[in-house]
Amino acid sequence: MTEAIYSLRPLLAVLVSAIAIPLIVASYRRPNVREGWSVAAALAKFGIIASMLPAVLAGEEFRWSFGAYVPGVEFALRADALGMLFALLASFLWVFTAFYATGYMRGLDEHSQTRFFAAFAGSLSAAVGIAFAENLLTIFVFYELLSVATYPLVAHNEDEEARIAGRKYLAYTFFGGGVLVLGGTVLVFALAGTTTFGETAAGLATADPTLARAAFAMLAAGFGVKAALMPAHSWLPDAMVAPTPVSGLLHAVAVVKSGVFGIARVVLDVFGPELVTDLGVGVLLAALAAFTLTVASIIALRQDRLKARLAYSTISQLSYIILGLGVLGPTAIKGALLHIPAHAFMKLTLFFCAGIIHVETHTDYISEMDGIGKRMPLTMTAFAVAAAGMAGIPLIAGFVSKWFLLIGSVETGQAVFALVLLVSGVLNIAYFWPIVYGAFFESADTADEKPLVRGPFGGHTPVPDGGTRSGESPVDRSEETNYAVDRNPSDHHSEEAHEEHDAHHGGPGPDGWQWAGWTGAEGSWLMLGPILAIAAGSVVLGIVPYEAVFLELIEQIVAGVSA
Amino acid sequence: MNVVVDLLTTQYTYALFALLMGIGLYMMVASENLVKKVIGLNVFQTALFLFFVSSAYVVGGSAPIVPSGASGRFVSPLPQVIVLTAIVVGVALTAVALSLIVRIYGEYGTLREEALREVRADE
Amino acid sequence: MSDATLAPIGLIVVPIIAAALSLAAGLVRDRSGWMVALAALLVEAVLMIWLVDAVYRGPGRLVHELGAYGRPGSDGFAVGIELVADELSVLVVVLISVVSLGVLAISRRGGPRGNAFYSAYLLLAGGLMGVSLTGDLFNMFVFLEIVGLATYTLVAADRSAESAVAALKYLLIGTTGASLFLVGVGYLFLATGTLNMADLAAMLAGEPSFVEEALYGDTLVVAGFGFITAGLLVKSAIFPLHTWQPDAYSAAADSVTVYISALASTVAAYAFARVMLTVFTPAFFEVNPIAATAIVTLASVSIVAGSVLAVMQRRVKRMLAYSSVSQFGLIIAAIGIAVHPAAVDAGIPFAGIERTAAEFAVIGTAIHLVGHGLIKGGLFAAVGTIARTEGARTVAEYAELGRRAPVRSAAIAVLALALVGVPPTVGFLGKWYIALGAVGAGLWPLAVVIFASTVLTLTYVARLLERLYFTPRSVALPDRVAADGGTAAAGEPISPTVGAIVVIVLATIGVVALGFAGTEVTEALDPFIAEVFNS
Repeated sequence: MTEAIYSLRPLLAVLVSAIAIPLIVASYRRPNVREGWSVAAALAKFGIIASMLPAVLAGEEFRWSFGAYVPGVEFALRADALGMLFALLASFLWVFTAFYATGYMRGLDEHSQTRFFAAFAGSLSAAVGIAFAENLLTIFVFYELLSVATYPLVAHNEDEEARIAGRKYLAYTFFGGGVLVLGGTVLVFALAGTTTFGETAAGLATADPTLARAAFAMLAAGFGVKAALMPAHSWLPDAMVAPTPVSGLLHAVAVVKSGVFGIARVVLDVFGPELVTDLGVGVLLAALAAFTLTVASIIALRQDRLKARLAYSTISQLSYIILGLGVLGPTAIKGALLHIPAHAFMKLTLFFCAGIIHVETHTDYISEMDGIGKRMPLTMTAFAVAAAGMAGIPLIAGFVSKWFLLIGSVETGQAVFALVLLVSGVLNIAYFWPIVYGAFFESADTADEKPLVRGPFGGHTPVPDGGTRSGESPVDRSEETNYAVDRNPSDHHSEEAHEEHDAHHGGPGPDGWQWAGWTGAEGSWLMLGPILAIAAGSVVLGIVPYEAVFLELIEQIVAGVSA
Repeated sequence: MNVVVDLLTTQYTYALFALLMGIGLYMMVASENLVKKVIGLNVFQTALFLFFVSSAYVVGGSAPIVPSGASGRFVSPLPQVIVLTAIVVGVALTAVALSLIVRIYGEYGTLREEALREVRADE
Repeated sequence: MSDATLAPIGLIVVPIIAAALSLAAGLVRDRSGWMVALAALLVEAVLMIWLVDAVYRGPGRLVHELGAYGRPGSDGFAVGIELVADELSVLVVVLISVVSLGVLAISRRGGPRGNAFYSAYLLLAGGLMGVSLTGDLFNMFVFLEIVGLATYTLVAADRSAESAVAALKYLLIGTTGASLFLVGVGYLFLATGTLNMADLAAMLAGEPSFVEEALYGDTLVVAGFGFITAGLLVKSAIFPLHTWQPDAYSAAADSVTVYISALASTVAAYAFARVMLTVFTPAFFEVNPIAATAIVTLASVSIVAGSVLAVMQRRVKRMLAYSSVSQFGLIIAAIGIAVHPAAVDAGIPFAGIERTAAEFAVIGTAIHLVGHGLIKGGLFAAVGTIARTEGARTVAEYAELGRRAPVRSAAIAVLALALVGVPPTVGFLGKWYIALGAVGAGLWPLAVVIFASTVLTLTYVARLLERLYFTPRSVALPDRVAADGGTAAAGEPISPTVGAIVVIVLATIGVVALGFAGTEVTEALDPFIAEVFNS
């Protein structure tokens, strides 16, 4: 452990958005002021974290401690390279999400916006707390607080679907957190006498291997719930009933990444790569991740709802990271850690595109999106860029991380995982390409059937005469999977509040899509701006990952771990 | 065999204590009438008094009131003090229990547990 | 500064005298009970602070001999009754004093009035102090019965027949429990000849010269343990001896429920801890390991059963009552770990200081005892005012209360999450220590139950939270036609009293603030722990 500089900055980074909560609540009558607090808090948070970056890159760490929380364990925050990675990512993306969420919520005239923005601020506070936690107990505290803060966001719509999704979310995350992570933490403390990251490996190495393996399993499973590792993944598609900014920042970036981050801490700092290899648990983790990877990609193919498809894509992509952490070896770890920001940028772009499409055209189904490139050219271009990155096309963020993962698998002699990654890459293309192609190169009346969606293995039963699909909106969805996100549009709200959004009337309308031009007439700039910015970010990350800071941080992390 | 004889001749009070405790508990559980339950409680507590008093007994001892300068054998006073206190406690409890029963009777018109349950279930 | 040994006797006597004064004052002037109670409890608070200063910052464990009989005779045994204030009992004394004052603030408007009520209230306060401070086993029985009597009276205080039935049930079951306790005490007395706790511990350990060997294996002693445990578990409402609690809690007036939920079972659990740790000591359980296993098993069943039963309840007060069954299961489990032979030997090294799993369990017991008292008291206070002002008594009727009663709903949310064990509240802190004790001792089934209790508690807490914030009234109560707030006949809404809101908010803040008090409590309890485990 390097000698840390005592500083209030990690604490401030966590608290700045917590302080914003009462301010947001107090300004409930003045929406602009209220949203202003969110933006200000986001900028301040990013500023504080960015100010610590140069020193961290030079090898120093910032530390703040409350003192002993329970005897033997301090409640402490430490900004080290791994923590900076996550904190930087979350706070940077929150700045854009704050604007996007404003545009989104206003575009739909949503209810309870104050509660929404307040809970959002709280969630980011908890996320940065997770990033900077110095030991397992502190990370557990913030992990639970994150569950509490994000629950109101999941159940935001207050209809039956949202409540069911909320209950499931609470059940999964509290089981993962309150039971498994706590159990693992207590076990580690009992075995090693400490829970501080980087200092536990010595004690664990001398402990009974069965108990050490049990501790690893509990911690990995506990964090794995939030990371949507199968079989604990099903809360994520259900949580897509939440408004899209929530699905985007929280369920593609903050919440799930905190789960993955937790696993990274466990593998790299609690046990250390050597001990993980000695105990033999790395392979199991990698195998589970590989399974999740593949199965989630296959399920994604069948989804007709855009957000559902993106949800399963998220589950799949998160397992890339876990795979890299399970394979171990410096290159694989590098790839895994780089995929954290890479996937975040790309997935956020995709979700934001889905959101703006919903706001502007009320379209949620892929089968209705043929030709939508005409109506929303900028959006779909961003979508195409991000989708290409997900598939691993060079020059966009996903390529470099995938490359490292492939090499890492081969390097450590576990080439089967490389094969899995390649197969998944093909599947990625398979489920993203039709959307992009359909958007730009087809129109509503000339579109073909989507065979995987309509076919015998897929979402709908085929039309009895087996012929072409007529241009009407798809109606009978009763055969679809019984996930909440499939039963109702993602931002369904109660009838009394929004009569004009009553019937689901997505799709192109009687005259097809209207050409909107490239100057942004397609939607509000509050939403378009962030989309384009983040899409551009994913390109930057793909072209110059080192200069874009993340790879530099990651190389430092890997060097520190291998030492 | 010897044990049983010994029990019945010299330690019968303890056997009686156990018996009374059982009777009291049975009354509390099995009686329908609320007043009888309270009586059962009293029997239960009386069994305890018996236990303590018999534990104080010293063969050939007299009551533990010592005139000044006297000597000789006395039974142990401490358990008797315990019993006095416990009797007082028991009286207070019985009083509270009976006053509650008066109120219950006034409202529901019955003291039978079954009937009470039906009447209250309708509420 | 006069000798602080007067504080324990003052703490017990002042409320009892004031109880009589309250009745007397009622002859002179109606509605004066509240003032008398306030005066008495303020004096109590002063005495409590004096005692805290003496025990934690001053000399430490205090002994007051009633009647100053001293310890004559060759065996050095106490003749009279001793009052003992050590680090654990003072913690409970603080809780009693604070909660008594808090409930006074609520009951001024919200509770039953009349001098007789406050008389019983003060009697209960005195009895609770007595149980916490006594050093004599029979004296503990007497005070337990005083607590019981006062509680039965308070439960029936609202003069309705429903509460009378609940009070009678409580009386029958509670008195049986206390009598079983007395049988146990009698057996111990027969085996050792003394009732003083410290002397009993010495006798059982075989320390005096005229005792040949330790008495731990003696049939009388083991039987005494069994009866005492049964009696105190009845009073702490552990499954399956808990049946009096849901009726008593839900039928009593709301401010009474706050008082008894925070204190009555808490003090009984404290009594159990005191007897197990100080009288029997872990040495007894080394000779009779099955005793520790039995305690732990019963407690585990209670943890699970309480939560399962709580989920099935429609009425909020009953749900919280079953929740108490579960939480007290956790506390009893912690006491079981503290005396378990496996835990006493299991060292958990950290930072160079070695602590055993059993010590962690003791700290966890103390923290959860106090913490749960605060949490449950705060919850019942909020629930009580909501019942009064909004007329909502069932979980379904809590729909949309997040909007209509924002402060109280927020307090309920925080307190409920504390009950689940979300950090950084005191609920989490207690659970951490207890879990550490269980894991350190290698008691795996119990550890699993403790961790699972998080999710079990969540099942009934989440229902309530969901109703508060995320369920529209039309969905939760489809049969009600018009808006129905308040219990006033025609539309004027009743607002909660300032006192109630202050108490609820303070309880919530206290619960979160105490969540950071882990090291302070540990340091404060260190002398007590040393006494239990090293002697």
